[in-house]
Parts: sequence; C-alpha cells; structure tokens
Amino acid sequence: MKIIETDKSEDESQVEEPESALWRTVAASVRGSGHEKSGLPCQDSHSVEPLPAGVLIVAVADGAGSAAHSEIGATVATRAALDWLSINQDLLNPNADGLSLEKTLRAAVEEAREKVLAEAAEREINVCELASTLIVVAATPTVVACAQVGDGAAVVNDQDQRLIALTKPQFGEYINETTFLTSADALTTLQSKVWRGAITHLAVFSDGLELLCLKLPEGTPHSQFFAPLFHFVSGITEEMDAQTQLEEFLRSAKIRQFTDDDVTLVLATFPQRLCPH
Amino acid sequence: MSEQKLEDAVEFLDQQPRCACVLLLDTSGSMGGPPIQELNAGLQTFRDELVKDDLAKKRVEVAVIEFNSQVNLVQDFVTAEKFQPPTLYATGSTCMGAGIEKALDLIQERKKKYKDNGVTYYRPWVFLITDGGPTDSTQIAETKLKQAESKKGIVFFAVGVQGANMGFLQQIAGPAVKMLDGLNFKELFLWLSTSMQRVSQSKPGEMTALPPTDPWTAIGS
Repeated sequence: MKIIETDKSEDESQVEEPESALWRTVAASVRGSGHEKSGLPCQDSHSVEPLPAGVLIVAVADGAGSAAHSEIGATVATRAALDWLSINQDLLNPNADGLSLEKTLRAAVEEAREKVLAEAAEREINVCELASTLIVVAATPTVVACAQVGDGAAVVNDQDQRLIALTKPQFGEYINETTFLTSADALTTLQSKVWRGAITHLAVFSDGLELLCLKLPEGTPHSQFFAPLFHFVSGITEEMDAQTQLEEFLRSAKIRQFTDDDVTLVLATFPQRLCPH
Repeated sequence: MSEQKLEDAVEFLDQQPRCACVLLLDTSGSMGGPPIQELNAGLQTFRDELVKDDLAKKRVEVAVIEFNSQVNLVQDFVTAEKFQPPTLYATGSTCMGAGIEKALDLIQERKKKYKDNGVTYYRPWVFLITDGGPTDSTQIAETKLKQAESKKGIVFFAVGVQGANMGFLQQIAGPAVKMLDGLNFKELFLWLSTSMQRVSQSKPGEMTALPPTDPWTAIGS
C-alpha cells in the first residue's frame, strides 16, 4: 500500500485516498454514577479527527471532580490540542524524526494549556476551576506519537498482536493524586512517546478505566480487556450502532461496580492492515 | 462474538487500591464504663457501615491499636470485609506517645508492603480517640508525627472525649482535632465510615471532600 511507503511525499501519495477510509473509529464519554448522584455533568471530553495523509489525531481530557467548571476546561483542552495539530499537520509526517514528532505533540499540549489559562482569564475564574488531564495522540500507519499530562493512558496493538502502553497513568505516591494541565508543573511532568511499528489498533482512555485494564503501578495492558474491544472496532459496519454499543458498555453494571467516575474510551483501527486487499 | 455484548466479552482486572486506617484508641482506666461500651459499639457500627459499600469493604484496611499502661496491636491490618471488631477493656494509664509511635511505624511498614507488592494506595489515616492526656513521654512521637504530616505521609485526625487534654491534641494535630459530643461514638464512626468510603473511591483532586462533622462534634470544638 502506498500509504506505508515512507520514501514518498505524503501529500502527493495521498491525493486520491479518501481519508475517512484509512481509520475506523468509535469513541464515547459517559457520565459516571457518582456524577449522576451528585448532579455533576460528565467532566470527560474527547475529540477525534482524521487528517489527510492517513493521520488520526485524538485528544482525551478528564476534568477534575473537585473543579467547578472542569468539563469546560476538558473541552477547551481537547479542542485546542486538535485545532493546533490540524493547523500544523505538516509536522505530523511519519518520516519526521522521533524528537520532532515528540516536540510537536508537546507543543499541542502547551497550546491546550495556554488556551485553558486564557479561558480562565476570560471567565475571571481561578484556573484550578478548569483543571483536567490531557492525552493527545497522533497516529499514522507507521508511527504513533503522544503526549500526556495526568492519568489515563494510550495503548496500541501491532500486527504481531503485541499490546504496548505508550503512556502510563501518572500519579504520585497516592493513587488519587495526579497532575493537571493547569498545574504549575504540568509541562515538566508531561510524558511523551513516539512509537514506530505496524499499528492495527489504538485505545485512548481516561482514568475511570485504568484499574480495570492496566496492571498498576507499572501500567501493563491487560490483553483480555483490549482484545475484545479491538475486535469490536474492527467489525464496525454501522457507526451509530457501534457508538451506542460502546456507550452501553461504558455504562454497564460491570464497569460501574468498579468505578463511579466518568469514563471515556476512544478506539481506532487501521483496517487496511487487518485485511489487505 | 458480534452477538455477544461487549460487557460479556471484555475481561476486567480485579485490583483494588488500598486505604489504610489505623484506629488508635485510648483504653485507659478513665474510659471505663459507658465510654468503653459506646466505643466498642462504635467499632461495630464502623465495620457494619463499611461492609455495605462494595468498594470500601475491599479497599479500606483497618488496624486497631490500643494504649493504656502499654501499647497493644489489637488488630493488624485487615480489609474491612474481614474486620472483626474487638471488645476493648479499660484499664491503666495513658501511654499515648508510645501509641502514636506504634501507629506511625505500622503505617510505614504497610506502605513498604504495598510498594513491594505493587499495590497502589491512598494516603493512610491515623484516627486517634482519647479522653485524657499522655502519661508517657511524647517527644519522639511528636517529632515523628510532624515529619509524617509535613511529607503528607498520613492524614492524622484526633478526637477528644470529655476530659481529654484538648490543648495537647491541638498541639499535635492542629485543626484536625474535634471534641466528641457526649458519648456519641455511633455518629463518630458513621462519619469515619463515610469518610473512608469517600477517600477509598476518590479521584484525583478530590481528597478533601469529607462529610461535615457536626453530627458528632461538641459545639465550639
């Protein structure tokens, strides 16, 4: 397939390719039972956008439960990160070296932070009221780059069925302590990673799912959790139906018995690699 | 597979982060009679409330240390669902200093065990209840306690029952000191149970969302 030939200019080789055909995605954020009980809105936010040249960009933010307007902070953060990546998409060339890609993703997080700080100033509220985590991922068929502040994680699956955690939940000594995008040390504790390989699937999720799918504290992905979900996203034929199924899953009693938090899960697959024509 | 619901197909890890809670209880002679009876009943309430919560009963780990003329580890850490409340008896003096030291050491050991076993955890609690003042030296205990608190190593909470040396408690615990209203141990332990439920399920940034203490505190404390 021409899209994984890395010696060609991506722009030229991609002109004829319909971008939406490259990635298949399904994503949902659902309000946790705890938030329902206390009348809080869903404070998670996600954005997913396919770009030309086979790039998929994803952002997930988890608004802090204690912050009054964290759902706004989370939305501003995901939107700002993807807008910035979209404008600067020429930097997301898979041929770019790892360091440049990492810098690009870090810049998207920095931009998101700036936008959240600006939002707080405009609303004349303390920036803590907009506290959220942020995970930003840019995936091409041959390289995935991501940057993250706070908890949640991004996991990829490759052609050899290897599950790789690109990031791991970031918490301090105690599991309920994390860094937020609005924290003073957000950019110094930011983790970023560039992974090269033959990606088949991607999952990005907020901290509500962490204990269920990652062996903590090391953050090793649990294959029996991810395999059925990746199988599911590979088999999507009806987008609306898939969205409903994912939401039902995230609201299921099985998940709610473990967490009363909001949960977000973004799933993506690069189908060309699964069933080559 | 396409017919199977996602929730049936997906397998979850069963890992529970732990929240250690040391009950550091004064069982000196002055606690005899109704106070110790109410305290014992309170421990039962604490257990009964915690086991009603599916997550808290697996996450909260309770240990009980009593101090009188000596210090006894009455109950080493067990999850709330396995906690059998002891029956405590009141006798002797008030070795509070040694009791505090024992509690801090016990927390240190527990944290090490968590780390060695790759178990994640919340900030541990030490919950002191006393109706008197220390009859032993508290110098080492105070130093260790200050260190632990400044490193955010523990949450230390002290409750004074009628007759307690409130000045001393304030000196060691600052604002985290409350005076019990009469012998209202029941409300106190209901509060503690709710607090532990909240802490053991708290998400980042939610550490301070504790319920109000009014139902069991004496006015003005």
